[in-house]
Amino acid sequence: MTRFLKSSILGAATLALSMSSALAVDLEFYFPVAVGGEAAATIQALTDAYVAENPDVNINAIYTGSYADTTTRAITAARGGNAPHLAILLSVDMFTMIDEDIVEAWDDYLSEDEIENWIGGFYPAFMKNSQTEGKTWGIPFQRSTPVIYWNKEAFEAAGLDPETPPTTWDEMVEMGQQLTIRDDAGNVTQWGVRIPSSGFPSWLFTGLVAANGQDGLANDAGTEVYFDTPEVVEALEYLVSLSTEHEIMAPGILDWGATPRAFMDGESAIAWTTTGNLTNIRNNAPFEFGVGMLPAKVRPGAPSGGGNFYLFSGHSEEEVLAAIDFVKWATAPEQAAEWSIATGYVAPREDTWETDAMREYAQEVPGALVARDQLEYAVAELATFEGPRVTQILNDNIAAAVVGDKSPAEALADAQREADAILAPYRQ
Amino acid sequence: MTSVTIDRENPSVLAAAREIRLDRVLFVTGAWALALIWLLPLAYAIWTAFHPPAYETRFELFAPLTLDNFVRAWNAAPFARYFLNTILLVTMVLTAQLVLCTLAAFAFARLEFPGKNVLFALVLLQLMVMPDILLVRNYATMSALGLVDTILAIGLPYFASGFAIFLLRQTFKTVPKELDEAARVEGCSLLGLLWRVYVPLAKPTMLAFGLVSVSHHWNNFLWPLIITSSVETRPLTVGLSIFATTDSGIEWSIINAATLITSGPLLIGFLLFQRQFVQSFMRAGIK
Repeated sequence: MTRFLKSSILGAATLALSMSSALAVDLEFYFPVAVGGEAAATIQALTDAYVAENPDVNINAIYTGSYADTTTRAITAARGGNAPHLAILLSVDMFTMIDEDIVEAWDDYLSEDEIENWIGGFYPAFMKNSQTEGKTWGIPFQRSTPVIYWNKEAFEAAGLDPETPPTTWDEMVEMGQQLTIRDDAGNVTQWGVRIPSSGFPSWLFTGLVAANGQDGLANDAGTEVYFDTPEVVEALEYLVSLSTEHEIMAPGILDWGATPRAFMDGESAIAWTTTGNLTNIRNNAPFEFGVGMLPAKVRPGAPSGGGNFYLFSGHSEEEVLAAIDFVKWATAPEQAAEWSIATGYVAPREDTWETDAMREYAQEVPGALVARDQLEYAVAELATFEGPRVTQILNDNIAAAVVGDKSPAEALADAQREADAILAPYRQ
Repeated sequence: MTSVTIDRENPSVLAAAREIRLDRVLFVTGAWALALIWLLPLAYAIWTAFHPPAYETRFELFAPLTLDNFVRAWNAAPFARYFLNTILLVTMVLTAQLVLCTLAAFAFARLEFPGKNVLFALVLLQLMVMPDILLVRNYATMSALGLVDTILAIGLPYFASGFAIFLLRQTFKTVPKELDEAARVEGCSLLGLLWRVYVPLAKPTMLAFGLVSVSHHWNNFLWPLIITSSVETRPLTVGLSIFATTDSGIEWSIINAATLITSGPLLIGFLLFQRQFVQSFMRAGIK
C-alpha cells in the first residue's frame, strides 16, 4: 500500500513537473514608444492582463526606444541568435525584415478561418503596408494617419466659417490667404498653413500625391518607385507654391516636432500632422480647434502610417502559436479600444469601433472619427526594399525643392534616378 | 608713479599698451560670446523646465513657475533605479579602464617584448573603429558569455580602451628616465615602480581621461538599449528616450525637465571641480 502510495505520489509529482515545463511558454516582445503619456505603462498593463488570464504563458515586454532603435535592436538580437518572439516595428520596415530573413509570415500558422475572419477584419488601408505577394507579414496595432487641425478662433477672426475646414487644395490656398496676417511692417504674425518638411516629409507628401490621384509612391512588391510622374511633380509644385507663390506658409524647412507647438501658439492657423497629436493638442491648445481630412485635389487621399506586430523566426511552433494567441488577444475589440483611447492611435478594426468604450470616446472626441473615415481613401505609405535609403533620397529631394535648390521636376527626376539605382538588384 | 609719466611721454609704449588693451577686449568679448552660445540651450532647458508648457516658446519675465514638469518627468520612468545603474556602470567602467590601461600603457612605454610595435598598432587601430559597427558582433559575444541584460555587458566592450592606453603610454614616456632608474637602484619592484613613480606623475592625465570616460558612458545610449531589457540594468539615457515622442508631438517642458534631472549630477560635479578639471586638461594636453 505504502509502496503504491509512494509511487503514485512520485508519478503525480513527475506528471505535474513535466506538465508545468511543457506548458510554461516564455515570450519576449519588443515595443517602441512614439507617443507621450503612459503608452509604455499601457502596454505593460495589457501584457500583465494577458498573463493573468493565461498563467501558462509568460510575456516579457521590453521597451526598446524609438522605432529606429527597436528595428536596430531586433535585427541585432536576431543576428546574435536571440530574436524576440514579437516586435512592433514600422509597417514600412516589412521589406527590410523580409530582406534580413528574420521574420515569418503569419498566414503559415493560421487556419483558413482565421485568415478570413481575423486578418480580413482589419481595415484594408492598414493591410496595404502589411502584406506583399499574397502573404501577411504585419498585424496592424499602433497605426496612424495624417489629418489637418484648424484653429476655429483664427477662422472666425478672418471672417471664415469656423466649422468648415478647407476640403480642396484651392480652398486651402484661398482660406490660407485670408488667414495669413501681416503686421504694419509686413512681417507675418500668423501663417495660413503649416506642412512640416523635416522629420518624415515623404509621409505628408504622400497625402498630397494621393489627393492628386496616384496610389502611393511604390508598387506592392516594394521594387519600383513612382517619383517622377506628372501627379507627383504637380503635388510637389503645389507644396512649394504655398510658400513661394501664395505666401501662406513660412518659407524654408518647417520642423516636424515643433509643429503642434506652432499650431497651439497661433503661429499657423492650419497644421498638417498625425492623428497621434490629438491628445496633446486637446490638452494644451488654448482655443477651439477642429480636425479634418487632408484636402482633396482630384480625390481625397492620405497615407496610413505607424507600427505593426512582426513575428520573428527561430522559435518552436509552440512558442509561435502562443505569440499569435497574444496578438489576437491584443487586437481584439476590448483591448484595441483601450489601447486606442490611451494613445490616440487609430483602432485598426471595424469591430473595435463598435465597442461601448470606443463609442463613448468617439462622442467625446469627434476628431478620432475623422481618422477612421479617412481610411476609406488611404493609400500605402512609401515602403520598398532598402526602405530607409530610398525614403531618405525622396526626403532630401523634397527638402531641396522646398528650399529652392532644385525645381520640383528636377528634384523628383533625381530622386527617381537614385532610387532606381538602389532598387535595380531587387527587380530580378 | 614715475613709470606712468614715462609711459605717457613715450608714444610707442602707449601704442603697445593700447594694442594690449584692444587684444584683451577682443579676447574677453570672444570668450563671453562663446560662453553665451554654449549656455543658450541650457538656459532654454531651464526656462522651459520650470514653466508650464504654454510658455515653451514665449518669454515673459513673470510667467508662473512650476515644478510640475519635474514631477511628471520623474514619474514617467523609474529614474531612481536608472540613476543607481548609471552610477554603477560609470564607476565600474572607469575603474576597470584605469587598472587595465595603466598596466598596458606601462608595458608599451617601458618594457621590451617581441611584437610590441605590432600590438601597439593594433591598439591604435581600435581608435579608428566606430563602436556602432561592432553592435552585432558584441551582442553575439555577450550572448555567448551569457551576459545579455547585465550591467557588466554594457561596460565590458569598453574596458580595454585604446584611447586610454595611448594617452597613458604617451604620458609615461615623458617620465624622466632618471626617476625610473633611481627607483630601480633603490630596489623597487616593477609594479612598485609603476605605483610609486609613474601613476603619481600621470594623475592629471588619468583625471582628464576619467572625465571623458564618465561623460561618455553617462551619455551612451544605443549599446545599453540593445544589450539590456529590464529596469534593473538600464541606464538613465534609456529612461530619457521615453520622451522622444515623434508620433504625438514633443512636449519640450517635460523633455527638458527630464534632461536636467539626468544631466544635473554631472553638471554640478563639473562646476564643483571645475578648476581641477581645467588644470588637468591643460597638463594632459587634451583639448
